[in-house]
Amino acid sequence: MSTVTTPNGFSLDTSGQRVVIDPVTRIEGHMRCEVNIDSDNIIRNAVSTGTMWRGLEVILKGRDPRDAWAFTQRICGVCTGTHALTSVRAVEDALKIEIPDNANSIRNIMQLSLQIHDHLVHFYHLHALDWVNPVNALKADPKATSELQMKVSPSHAKSSPGYFRDVQTRIRKFVESGQLGPFKNGYWTNPAYLLPPEADLMAVTHYLEALDFQKEIMTVRTIFGGKDTHPNWLVGGVPCAINMDGAGAPINMERLNYVRSICERTKKFIKDVYIPDLIAIGGFYKHWLYGGGISNQSVLSYGDIPDRANDYSPANLMMPRGAIINGKLEEVHEVDLRDPNEIQEFVPHSWYSYPDEAKGLHPWDGLTEPNFELGANFKGTKTNIKELDESAKYSWIKAPRWKGHAMEVGPLARYIIGYSQGHEVITEQVNGLLKTLDVPVDALFSTLGRTAARALESEWCADMQLYFLDKLINNIKNGDTATANTQSFDPSTWPSEVKGVGFTEAPRGALGHWIRIKDTKIENYQCIVPTTWNGSPRDNQGNIGAFEAALLNTKVERAEEPVEILRNLHSFDPCLACSTH
Amino acid sequence: MSTKITAHKEEAHYIYEAPVRLWHWVNAFAIVALCITGYLIGKPFPSVQGEASDHYIMGYVRWIHFASAYILMVGFAGRVYWAFVGNKHARQIFLPPIHKLGFWQGVVHELLWYAFIVPEPKKYEGHNPLAALIMYFVFLWGMVFMILTGLALYGEGTGMDSWQFDYFSSWIIPLFGQSQDVHTWHRLVMWILICFAITHIYAALREDIMSRQSLIGTMISGWRTFKDSRKDD
Amino acid sequence: MHETFYEVMRRQGITRRSFLKYCSLAAAALGLGPSFAPKIAHAMETKPRIPVLWLHGLECTCCSESFIRSAHPLAKDVILSMISLDYDDTIMAAAGDQAEAIIQETIEKYDGNFILAVEGNPPLNEDGMYCIINGKPFVEQLKHTAEHAKAIISWGSCASWGCVQAARPNPTRATPVHKVPGLANKPIIKVPGCPPISEVMTAVITYILTFEKLPALDSQGRPKMFYSQRIHDKCYRRPHFDAGQFVEEFDDEGARKGYCLYKVGCKGPTTYNACASTRWNGGLSFPIQAGHPCIGCSEDGFWDKGSFYERLSNVHGFGIEADADEIGGTAAAVVGGAAAIHAAASTVKRIAQKGDDA
Ligand code: HEM
Ligand code: HEM
Ligand code: NFV
Ligand code: SF4
Ligand code: SF4
Ligand code: F3S
Ligand SMILES: [Mg+2]
Repeated sequence: MSTVTTPNGFSLDTSGQRVVIDPVTRIEGHMRCEVNIDSDNIIRNAVSTGTMWRGLEVILKGRDPRDAWAFTQRICGVCTGTHALTSVRAVEDALKIEIPDNANSIRNIMQLSLQIHDHLVHFYHLHALDWVNPVNALKADPKATSELQMKVSPSHAKSSPGYFRDVQTRIRKFVESGQLGPFKNGYWTNPAYLLPPEADLMAVTHYLEALDFQKEIMTVRTIFGGKDTHPNWLVGGVPCAINMDGAGAPINMERLNYVRSICERTKKFIKDVYIPDLIAIGGFYKHWLYGGGISNQSVLSYGDIPDRANDYSPANLMMPRGAIINGKLEEVHEVDLRDPNEIQEFVPHSWYSYPDEAKGLHPWDGLTEPNFELGANFKGTKTNIKELDESAKYSWIKAPRWKGHAMEVGPLARYIIGYSQGHEVITEQVNGLLKTLDVPVDALFSTLGRTAARALESEWCADMQLYFLDKLINNIKNGDTATANTQSFDPSTWPSEVKGVGFTEAPRGALGHWIRIKDTKIENYQCIVPTTWNGSPRDNQGNIGAFEAALLNTKVERAEEPVEILRNLHSFDPCLACSTH
Repeated sequence: MSTKITAHKEEAHYIYEAPVRLWHWVNAFAIVALCITGYLIGKPFPSVQGEASDHYIMGYVRWIHFASAYILMVGFAGRVYWAFVGNKHARQIFLPPIHKLGFWQGVVHELLWYAFIVPEPKKYEGHNPLAALIMYFVFLWGMVFMILTGLALYGEGTGMDSWQFDYFSSWIIPLFGQSQDVHTWHRLVMWILICFAITHIYAALREDIMSRQSLIGTMISGWRTFKDSRKDD
Repeated sequence: MHETFYEVMRRQGITRRSFLKYCSLAAAALGLGPSFAPKIAHAMETKPRIPVLWLHGLECTCCSESFIRSAHPLAKDVILSMISLDYDDTIMAAAGDQAEAIIQETIEKYDGNFILAVEGNPPLNEDGMYCIINGKPFVEQLKHTAEHAKAIISWGSCASWGCVQAARPNPTRATPVHKVPGLANKPIIKVPGCPPISEVMTAVITYILTFEKLPALDSQGRPKMFYSQRIHDKCYRRPHFDAGQFVEEFDDEGARKGYCLYKVGCKGPTTYNACASTRWNGGLSFPIQAGHPCIGCSEDGFWDKGSFYERLSNVHGFGIEADADEIGGTAAAVVGGAAAIHAAASTVKRIAQKGDDA
């Protein structure tokens, strides 16, 4: 019998043709995917593998906890900063350090800018080529493209026929040069691409515009953190002191004005370009509703963006928090990151060893001991793997579970939870989009739903950036310029043994860092990262994770040109460096 | 046990010629200045308020360090020169006779003397063997190390076009890994020199009192005198 | 037929005027005088696009992220008009076998004439399987492409030095490019930094294309134009350093006046990078300007020198981890204490002897 049913309700059939995609590209890091496709070209089994490991959790042992943000920030340069923020929060939690209000506002602005940047770059530069065919754009009529542009986004200035003609010429010459660069060997003749040439041209144009604009978005992090990427953070607050009436401080009126101008331009770009493109492209694909996976079943969010400083309770978090399981959308459970029985990581299918692999470990007691071994049925050699054996260990990603459930995390998870909770803005945005596209609410649980949630979230984040900038300025106006609490900065003031947990909602979903500090040094440090959740291999019970679930039952046009597989995987914005760390 | 100090008649020996004596004291002061300023380079004084242009505290600390460093280096060069042209004692700290059994027996004897096991030290015209050994391995090579690493650090400031950078920084920095490592070792070896100085000054004072010969006076006048006329066995 | 930058730029609707402006910006970015602008313009009018294979090993992709932040030239223009970025798994359309085929095609077509850009580094433990590409260890892909490349650019501290995954205890034996055994003996340009400055990355590429040669490198293989001075040599807070005006702790009076960050651990005095002169993100700021000490991110092994917030670095070995003053101070105290005890013992002995003699 080659068909099994997983406890989380998916049936896996390994009898069909095995197709391997390695490397999966247009993601962060290294990933492999194997699927079995039946005679109707439907995916019946999916295996997703994290193919890199660096050992950050091992490297962090024995280090100064105040430095951990810099190490963990290097887990990923795409979601740069979210690990750093999570880390300083974990240390502050362990040492009971309260941060000033201004630090909270500044951290939020930085975190929000990451969300926006990451979502935008994902949409245009990592995901778009799954839907948009740049070669087809050569057939477009620039005038018609201009009309389309003015229709979908009347307020975007760059919309003249001449502008599109120039871009088209640029692409034509590029293509005709024979040096296709990043577009080389794409699947440009695949019938899975559905856009008319004008939409393709508009999208490719915005691919380039967004490439130029993305570098502006992050400059607010350059102001507050000194550089981008990998800006600087600080346990106890933020490093950038404020001084509005004297020379020399990192933050003064000019810097705040700069931030405001960037935030406003960001908001405008999202409104004029990102959202209209989403709607325009989405409109052509709105019947391609594959890839829901476990999104209508189990989703998780820790919540983020504390309104007031130091209060991490759900009511104070402006991004939704909670867990939905068993498809009961109306019931949102509270999540406790400290409870040893809620969040656990399993490794029976991961390249690590535990003393007892039938059990999961809560991250405060987590272990990271690499153990690379291939199952009895793998094909190839150790250094030339042809096919993996998913009944054994097959990934560098661990398998995190919430109360035993595989969970999907990310913008879609956040939006589903927020929608279930009746979050005002989210409900309005979602209903609006569903109406515009004329699709039922079920359409959310799909690859497109994930992609849409990301765009809507960016819109919300842009508003929130301005909210926190105002808050920061108001606070300064009221005479509070504090940015750091250094009372417990000196390790000699620390208790001998403490533990803490920090969390954020990273662009890709729920992120947690668990730390144990002993005699001023890190004793254990464990991260469970969004892509660890989404990209997880199977667990001790055989539950499959979000990636694998999302691939199942998808129809592919051409098995050898796996654009549909890329679509589904890309909709999660996989980050493999993150997932394995 | 008896170490009777009896009246004796013995000729004094001229050991440390004037350049050696001069060098000794200049060098000693330079090292003290280098240690104090070096310490402050790593752990500066508390901050001062006011306009930056009104102060130059770190600047002076570093200036004194570099000035003393050049005095130390010039002195050291002179001392090396004197080892060639001076009397045989001028060579002693550069060439301890480590290939001779008698030398090591002397070292052992000296150790036993410090351990209160043998009752009486021997008499030496120049340094005792233990002193010579430490002078060579700790002081001399310590100096060479400090000069090389110091110049490598200095070359970082004078820049890639300077001779200090070309001759020293360019290979010494990567040899240690990176600049931070050179700083660390430069500082560590300072502490070794401080340990040397503590031991050295203590031994000089003690031997001046307890041994059978003059010590501090010798480094001032150049003449070694002995307190008895017994021969060593 | 190869096209020149200029042709490509013109076709893209860029006017001669803005092309020349671009050239003078490029000259400025390279630290060259305005007289170099015509030279750059000439070079760009006559040279074809060179293929670049950009490989990723163990890394965080931040170097790529930094690259796309470049303000002058824009990343878009580098990718579309200056080079032919044939392989870069972060942005390429192709995946799986079609992606891997590109490497082979490029090698066949441009043997010895393409640039190999490496972000990250290969792990050597576990037969390299801590970083797998197409079922095989990344180190194989690296060696194979290096064999046929014209030159190698080691992007960032990962490729240049090893960086975070090579920090103690380096569980995967992550190894910087120039130390990979058996790697083809090709010129390697190290562009360290975690990540390197965006405009430094694009300037290194532009330099190679413009002057048709590798930039002048220092003894450690870094382009002199960006790495021959320390942050400290060009830091705008330097007057406060010389004055002895320091931030004693974050957010104190000194922090609000922009005093020197030395005492909160600044590694500017030991770090070779262009942050203080070129600055970041189009010259907008750099870590110190935003109030955080430099952590030395472009230096070899900067992760393993002790806390980023301490001025003195730690020394490892013999199971101890302490800074020079802790080790040296303890040693000096022990020596001083021993001398004192010895002095006391000597005095006792002397008094005893005197008693004997009496
Ligand atoms: C016995 C001799 C010396 C001692 C004890 C000594 C001690 C020190 C110490 C403790 C430091 C601070 C290291 C740190 O914390 O980073 C230092 C720095 C330095 N020393 Fe020396 N040093 C000596 C000789 C020299 C010489 C011969 C030179 C040659 C020019 C030199 C040049 C420097 C330089 C350039 C610095 C770095 C200054 C800075 O970072 O601002 N030193 N020295
Ligand atoms: C109060 C301070 C000092 C006193 C009283 C002192 C005393 C002496 C005496 C008595 C000698 C001759 C030893 C002998 O005849 O065997 C001597 C030699 C020497 N001292 Fe000092 N010393 C002092 C400080 C220092 C310092 C700070 C240093 C360097 C760290 C130093 C380095 C040397 C060296 C290298 C010699 C050997 C000279 C040669 O043979 O060329 N001294 N000192
Ligand atoms: N997964 C992940 Fe990250 C994100 N978003 C981390 O927390 O990308 Ni690199
Ligand atoms: S050098 Fe630093 S920024 Fe670049 S990939 Fe490595 S860890 Fe990331
Ligand atoms: S802030 Fe850092 S780089 Fe700048 S002067 Fe001070 S120590 Fe030097
Ligand atoms: S930390 Fe890195 S970014 Fe520059 S200022 Fe220091 S080298
Ligand atoms: Mg983990």
